[in-house]
Amino acid sequence: MGAFGSPIHCSQRLLFVHSMETVLQVLIDGILSGLLYALVAAGLCLIWGVMDVINFAHGEFLMVAMYVSYWLGFLAGVDPLVSVLAAGAFVFLLGVLTYQLIVKYTVGKPPLAALLATFGLAMLIKNFCLNRFSPNFRILSDTWLGDKTYHLGELIIPIPQLVTGIIALLVIGLVYALINSTRFGWAVQATAMDKEAAELMGINTERIYLLIFGIGGACVGIAGGIMPTYLAVHPEVGSLFGLIAFICVAMGGFGSIPGALFAGLLVGVVESFAGFYIAPVFKYVAVFGLYLAVVAFRRKGLFGW
Amino acid sequence: MNRKSLRLLGCVAVAAVLCLLLAAGPAAAQQKVIKIGTIFPLTGPVANAGQRCQAAVQTAVEIVNGQHPGVKVPLAKKGGLLGGYKIQLVHADSQGKPDIGKAEAERLLNQEGVWALIGSYNSSVSGPASLVAERAKKIFMCGASSSSALTKRNLNYFFRLAPTDATESAEFVEVLKWLNQKQNANIRTIGIIYENTLFGKGAAGEAKKAATAAGFSVVVDVPYTPGATNLNSEVQTLKTKNPDALFGAVLGADYALMVKTMKQANWVPRMSINYCSGYQDPIIAKQLGKDADLFMGSNAYTPQFATLLPAVAAVEKIFKTKTKGVPFDGDSIQEAVAVIVLAQAIEKAGSLDPEKVVKVLHESTFDSPLSLGGKVQFAKGGQNIKAFSIVTQLQNGEYKRLYPAELADSKAKVVFPMKPWNKR
Repeated sequence: MGAFGSPIHCSQRLLFVHSMETVLQVLIDGILSGLLYALVAAGLCLIWGVMDVINFAHGEFLMVAMYVSYWLGFLAGVDPLVSVLAAGAFVFLLGVLTYQLIVKYTVGKPPLAALLATFGLAMLIKNFCLNRFSPNFRILSDTWLGDKTYHLGELIIPIPQLVTGIIALLVIGLVYALINSTRFGWAVQATAMDKEAAELMGINTERIYLLIFGIGGACVGIAGGIMPTYLAVHPEVGSLFGLIAFICVAMGGFGSIPGALFAGLLVGVVESFAGFYIAPVFKYVAVFGLYLAVVAFRRKGLFGW
Repeated sequence: MNRKSLRLLGCVAVAAVLCLLLAAGPAAAQQKVIKIGTIFPLTGPVANAGQRCQAAVQTAVEIVNGQHPGVKVPLAKKGGLLGGYKIQLVHADSQGKPDIGKAEAERLLNQEGVWALIGSYNSSVSGPASLVAERAKKIFMCGASSSSALTKRNLNYFFRLAPTDATESAEFVEVLKWLNQKQNANIRTIGIIYENTLFGKGAAGEAKKAATAAGFSVVVDVPYTPGATNLNSEVQTLKTKNPDALFGAVLGADYALMVKTMKQANWVPRMSINYCSGYQDPIIAKQLGKDADLFMGSNAYTPQFATLLPAVAAVEKIFKTKTKGVPFDGDSIQEAVAVIVLAQAIEKAGSLDPEKVVKVLHESTFDSPLSLGGKVQFAKGGQNIKAFSIVTQLQNGEYKRLYPAELADSKAKVVFPMKPWNKR
């Protein structure tokens, strides 16, 4: 009996091991995508939470950061791991300028004003890049991280995405600490809760808004700065990321940084599992379906208050 | 109003009238104009292909309108049509979206009053846009869209130059048989990855039909959302099923992402063959560098076909001035052919009556030194029955001609199976 039984047992175990590894691989892919989504979403979340402004140009900010990193790499040979700082700084400035020149005039107006203004900005940025850089796809080759992978048995962990994930956790952690444990952060929270009361307490809310728009930009700038390592840069690249960031923020709860992190991870994992176990074409359907379900039952999002 | 301001007003009025007269002057002199509308995705995810197609149309129009003794293409030396008519282009951007393409077709026909339309790269846009032209009884020349459904509608005013995905699917299956025979490849199973659009679904449907009929088994079928943020689940699905051969209908940046994701997942099929899409885009091939190597696909043109198509060089020289040095690819060259065939038909009809030109298009065979077929002839429904493409393999960044054997590069040898990523 045993002589006949053991091969079957073995093959079943092999099948199980194989499927366990597949599950883990799908999970790893999902978590790594999720961390990237969370980093992109963190910036949007901050702006939204403090100012009640939806920055419709968020995806385009990401695209601009990718171009900054790409051009630094292509023209000056700077690796994205270094130019991530320049991309972050550039989009910080872009955020500050956006606030100073556009968003400032929409604060206190109906929410649609800021939405339409930033939508216009998104069109402007996208078409500027299309005009200046052409619609061609640009891939940065020979980067430090390149296509490196780490093999853990049968599991494959892509190093560029892993590093992006670690950077995402660091940046999100820093922003969380900044908001919750510094005088600046308390001022931000006060401004978010009641702008007029915060002004009466001597907080320069105008400056808070300016910096928040800048920091929100820097978050997405850092995400975009690292991405040319593994994703082609072109003027349309930010669109879907912008939409997913919006979903992460709404699902996580407006203004909640841990919410954005959790929602980003959830979106990544759901996308990955739905894509593999249902059908690849359903991966975004599952994500948007989950979003609808969450906002139907918890209108303020998972971590909203 | 005092006298001084009256005088100023008078001067402004005179200047305005003068400007109007000056502007009207050349227009009056250029009345012999054939207005043709183009609809391409000039923005959006496949804008680089769309802009190249538009540049190809402009190149062909420049050749037809001017006198180019060095260009060995019909009508290049005449300088205009029907004894002095010049083609004037009116461009529109579909953004790759069917609804916008259709609206632009309506605008071009009804408001701009164009005589014919050329477009639209995306099969999903060419479909509705050509229906608008059909209703208006205007000619629609379609260069590159490959969905075979387009010419199955039996429209009267629609003419398509490129080979269909049905033709290409049949050719791909022949390549598999050829590999099985010559290389002992033992290919049995097929996977298909395609964008979830009219083009992708059409190509996948034809691929399944052709493969099943030839006794191959389609083990995995992966549609994906164009412009996806990642293709991890798609490639993971393919890797798990591990088909011997992979058919791809993947456009633009998605193609680059697919190749990169395959590399990260450390998986390649034994062979991968792609429809006229990201594979044959010279920019993508250059950007991907060595990673693009050993993939196969169909091309209607690449600069490596120069010996087969000697007439292209002079045309390509003009084309490159419009694309910052990027050469023709299989899609853009079809749009240039569309213009030259239409111009020949107008000339042969001797009239701008669309009915007469359509009759010529249906009944004649046209010389086409820019096409691999050498001739263009349309069947009922508008398909160019002389259209075909060559199956190539990228080796060290060059498209090597492999199939059909009579057009193959004598020095090129197919690399089979594809080398694993860690052994390249």
